[in-house]
Amino acid sequence: MIAFNTPSRRVKPLLPLALAVSFLVGCAGPQSYVALLTSPDGSLGKVVVQGQRGEQLLTRAQQGALLDGSKPPFDVSDEQLQRDFGAAMRARPALPEQFLLYFETGGAELTPESQALLQRIVERAKARPTVDMSVIGHSDTQGAADANEALALTRANAIAGQLRTLGLGNALVAIESHGERNLLVPTPDETAEPRNRRVEVTLR
Amino acid sequence: MNRLHTALRGAAALGLAIAAIGVYAQTPPAAVGYVKTVTGEAWVTTAGQRVRAEPGTAVLMGSQLKTLSQASLGVTFQDNTVMSFGPDTVATVDEYLYAPAQGQLQLGASLLKGTLNYVSGVIAKLKPEAVQVKTPTGIIGVRGTQFVAKVEDSQ
Repeated sequence: MIAFNTPSRRVKPLLPLALAVSFLVGCAGPQSYVALLTSPDGSLGKVVVQGQRGEQLLTRAQQGALLDGSKPPFDVSDEQLQRDFGAAMRARPALPEQFLLYFETGGAELTPESQALLQRIVERAKARPTVDMSVIGHSDTQGAADANEALALTRANAIAGQLRTLGLGNALVAIESHGERNLLVPTPDETAEPRNRRVEVTLR
Repeated sequence: MNRLHTALRGAAALGLAIAAIGVYAQTPPAAVGYVKTVTGEAWVTTAGQRVRAEPGTAVLMGSQLKTLSQASLGVTFQDNTVMSFGPDTVATVDEYLYAPAQGQLQLGASLLKGTLNYVSGVIAKLKPEAVQVKTPTGIIGVRGTQFVAKVEDSQ
């Protein structure tokens, strides 16, 4: 900052100081980098960096790499993560929650256990400061694919309607049908399978 | 007869085109995610329209996300990918396709400066190679995980 206000003839002696400062800043931590963390569900994946100056693979938690790929991976301390990413980590939204509701065969009537789960979904949705939902209907493979596409949509609409009635009238809802195209339990065609007759509700 | 036929076909095609435009104009392009958390001053700019970010603000393909100093922002996408940003950050959502029943999965974002905390969603689980976060000096690929990334401003 001072350098900007200094007459030009005095800039020169400051140059070594500026270099020293930038060196110290450099020592404070890596500049542009990525670090692998354990997922909230406890699993650990991998990160690949394809940089202008090389490629690096991260496989251990709190392992970091420069984004230009120029150096081998290094460890990143808790303090460093907190200093660089504390604000971003605190801003992380509540993770999405998913619920599965199951149906009696051939229609949009829930099994008794699933009927009881509806109230729980409403409570969980209301616990979020803001919520958007997706409601996706599925069928098993018994019957024609077209009919199942329609049946799964009827199921999704029925659930969205019940959730609205139970107090989620203001939530953003995306309703979809996957028919018999997205089986939870793989089966041959024309197979009655209770676990495939379902609606997936996701709260975000 | 032939000319009449052609004319009718042309008129029908024009009608369809107008109907398609009508539908497009009335249906806003689909949100691919929503803002869930905000502290301080943050902005979402989509197709030249800039809105102050608040919980519930829609994020679309092409949206630019920006936080000022001391601000932060959290977004949850349709496939349950979660991204949150620290202060002085600029990021864009470049590509987003989420139609798992059709096998269409793509998530491309750019972190131009600032900090990002990413938690993978369904796209990274079903098709890891479909997720990319670009930065000015390198591209981050993800294999189902959480990561953090920082891009220092080049100025």
